[in-house]
Order: sequence, then C-alpha cells, then structure tokens
Amino acid sequence: MIEEPYRWVEAIANRREYIEAQLAPGSPIAALGYRDGILFLTLGQTRQKIFEIYDRIAMGAIGHPGDIERLRMAAIELASTEGFTRSAADVSLRRLVHYSLSPLMKGAFEQVYGAPYLARMLFAEVGERPEADLFLRVEYDGEIATNGATFAQARQDFAVLSGTRQSRESMEAFLKTEHTPGASFETALKSALDAWSIGHMALQTTDAKELPERAAVTKYRQEQLAHTGIEAGILEREAGRAIRYRPLLDKDLRALINE
Amino acid sequence: MESFPVAFDQNFSGTADDFPALLRRKGLLAPAAAFNPAPQGGTPQQKSFQPTEATTILAFKFSGGVLVAGDRRATAGTTVVYDRADKVLEIDRHSIMAIAGVPATAWEMARVLEHSFQYFRRTQLQEMSVDGKVRALSKLLRDNFGFVMQGVGVVVPIFATYNSHPKPEARLYFYDAMGAQFEATDYAATGSGSPAVRGILYYENNWGAKPLRKLSEDEAVSIALRALDTAAESDTSTGGVDRGGKIYPLIKIVSRQGITTLPERKIAAVFKETVA
Repeated sequence: MIEEPYRWVEAIANRREYIEAQLAPGSPIAALGYRDGILFLTLGQTRQKIFEIYDRIAMGAIGHPGDIERLRMAAIELASTEGFTRSAADVSLRRLVHYSLSPLMKGAFEQVYGAPYLARMLFAEVGERPEADLFLRVEYDGEIATNGATFAQARQDFAVLSGTRQSRESMEAFLKTEHTPGASFETALKSALDAWSIGHMALQTTDAKELPERAAVTKYRQEQLAHTGIEAGILEREAGRAIRYRPLLDKDLRALINE
Repeated sequence: MESFPVAFDQNFSGTADDFPALLRRKGLLAPAAAFNPAPQGGTPQQKSFQPTEATTILAFKFSGGVLVAGDRRATAGTTVVYDRADKVLEIDRHSIMAIAGVPATAWEMARVLEHSFQYFRRTQLQEMSVDGKVRALSKLLRDNFGFVMQGVGVVVPIFATYNSHPKPEARLYFYDAMGAQFEATDYAATGSGSPAVRGILYYENNWGAKPLRKLSEDEAVSIALRALDTAAESDTSTGGVDRGGKIYPLIKIVSRQGITTLPERKIAAVFKETVA
C-alpha cells in the first residue's frame, strides 16, 4: 500500500486536501500588536477560540475541538512545568512551538495510519516593546510562519488565521496598509474587526482578488455584529503583574465601537 | 511517535490530574513521603513532633479586608541567618499564604500552589473556587506529613483570600501540620511567637477600643505592629521591629480590589506614632 514512496506522497496529498476542506469554514482570528500589548479578536458564539497559555503567551485556534484541546493542554503543560522548574522568564514561545508543538504535529500528520491534528493555531507572545512581539502560526503539518522579516516581506506587527489561504491573504493585505504598531487600543480594535470582516467575506466567495470596498466592509461588519458576539483577549505589555493575559467582554468592546 | 516531548496518553480533560500530580509524573516534585518510614541504620529514633516553628505570623479581619503580617527573621537553631525574610507570599491576585516553618518546604509549597491555581484556570477555563484553593493547600500539607514525622520540613501556614461570590467576603484559614484546615472567624496566628499574639488579638477583639473587624487600616496596622513587637519581646526567633536597622514587618492586605503591600514608610509612620 504505502511501501512505495509515490503512494506515500499520494496519501499525504490526499490527507492535506481532506484537512484543508475540514478547516475551510473556520472563522478568521486576528492578532494585532499595538502600543500597549497584543489584541486577539474573532467573532462567533459557538465555541471559545482564544485561550491563555502562559503569563505572556496566548493562542487562537480553528479546527476540531478535540484536537485543539489536546494541543492546548500540551502547550499549557509544557509552559507550566518549564515556568515552575526554571522561571516564567524562561518560558519562550519560540521554543515551545519550534521544538515541541511543530515536531508533534508533523509527526502526526505524516503517520498516514494515524490521525492527524485537525487544527491551525496562532500564537503570540508579548514583548517589552512592540518590536519584540512574536507571532507564530502553526499549521496542521507542523509548518510555522512567523511575523519576522524575510526576503519576501518586511516584519509585521500582526498575524492572522483563517479557514482558507485566500481569506488569510486578504486580511494580511488589509492589515499591511491599515495597521501600525503604535496604534491605540481603539484603533487596533477597529482594524481587527475590519480585518475579520474582510477575512469572513473572502470565505463566502471563491474569486475575490481585490479587497472589498471600504463601505461594503463597514456594512458587513455591522450586519455581523448585530447577531454575533465578539470574542477577544489582550496580552498587556505593562500589566504591573506577571500574568499579562486578560479576556475582554463583548459589552465593553461594543461601548468602544459605537458608530 | 514514541520520542515526542509531549505526552500522548494524558488525561486531556485535566480534571483528574492536578498540577502537583503533573509535576510528580514528570519527576519534578518529590513524591509524598510515607508516614512511618522504617528506622534507618539500626538506630530507632524517637520522633518528637514540634507543632510550632520559629517565627511569628498573624492575620485578622478588619474593616478593609484581611491584614496579614509577618516578622522578617529567619533562624537556624539559635543563629539568626537572615533579617529580611519574606514570609507573607502572594499566591494569586486575591490570595496570600503566610508561612511558619522550614523555609525550603514552605517556599516550594507556595510555588506549587501559585502554579496550581494558574494551571487550573488556564486548563479548565475558570477560576478555582475558594474551597478548591483551601483544599489544594491542605493536600500539599498532607503529602508533606511524612517528612514532618521524619523531623524535617514542618510547615504551618495561614491562608487569606477574598471570595467574590456568592457572597463577597474576606476568608481566613489556618492549618495544622497534617493539613487540617480551620476557618478563622476573626484572627489567626502561627509560629513560635503566636501564643503572645493570640493573647493580644483575643484581648483586643473582646475588650479593646473596637472589635478587630471595625478597625481602620491605620489602627489595624498599629495592632499588628504591637503584637509582633510583643512576640519578639519573649521569643528569640521573632524579629519584631528592628529599630536600629529600620527593618519593619511585612504587612499585606487582601481586599475586594486584590492585594496591597503596605509601603515601608507607611508602616514606619504608624510605628513611630503609635508603637515606638
């Protein structure tokens, strides 16, 4: 069956196609680094999608709830035991993802007789300064995308996650022009809501090459806000305490959006 | 798949596996010691149980919440080894554990407890209840009791916290070395200097100018300082107030808003006015 290499490649390709199809309807999540911290935001009211992992680390995820739960528990266990045996300052998102979660997910993905993780995750770690904020997106096959500068792109102070590549790229294109790391919380909140709307609109269409008109985005956002809840959390840069994560309430956010 | 650093066979709900159990599974925390270890080296030793330890910790409820105070002296036998020890430890935003006993064990317990509460909140996505927190400390003490019977590692803590629901109120607990927990209605004291302190708090509560619960913050601080100074008068293991070195006891207050550590100059001012 898969003794022959090309069969293995075929099995992996099928599996990739299957997982992509499963993840496709996933509602977008935006994480924006702003002046006073990092804002995680999504809309929806079925399941919680944004979680605290450790003092300075939070996670957003789409996928199968069982798989998300297993990965979330693994991340919390690793971070907590590291923070206990050494210190909270020694818990690093880079190490957590690169050396623990990514190999785990790659292993599960390539074991074609076993079940892969049906999950796509977005991690963020708040730094002392906006330039030190770290964002990592981890795919079901263990691939990692960071917000750092590469030959192809400048450093970004945001990261997004969505069901499809097209949706994600629309959100990134929008945030690249709209978002600055020095933004206030209110500005970041509005950018995050717009980015979510653009990402969600892109999930409904198959051929959106251009970003939608500003008015259309605003209208879509208002329609969605009328019947869904906002789920959001922040990692504060200066919280005056070790634990930087704080969930935000829907009603507090709506008071800030008033338009 | 065998070599991955993350456990595959874990209980993902996390409910059956609390943080100390996770640490033990990973070999990061000493296993609970047996109550009756076999005598070693053929020399049966008579274990004598020492219920108090060398320090003084006190806590009482006043109008602004719970005040927890501890002296700063750490001793080894008759030697003073440290005069700025911190025995009143913040466990989370609303909880304080104040310790009398062997520092190594006590600080380790405080660390485990602090991480346990956070681990619970992060994994279970809700705060641990006050009863759950009180039990968690009780369980740590019980796990440690084997060491206590071997003559090492006795810890007798006080735990103060603020319960926001169903009824918002400050809660105060004291423990024995076996892990039994007692809820204190008005005050608690532990450590070698505690008999004197308990006498003062009982007297103040019944025949003082006001019952402890009605005291203002300054009045409460004043009584805490006087009580610790009295304990230090007869107990060599209690530092009290070091007038020469300007070292004051550590005082923290638990209230609805969280924990406040009183600044030293404020304690110094109350001390100068009402104690010295």
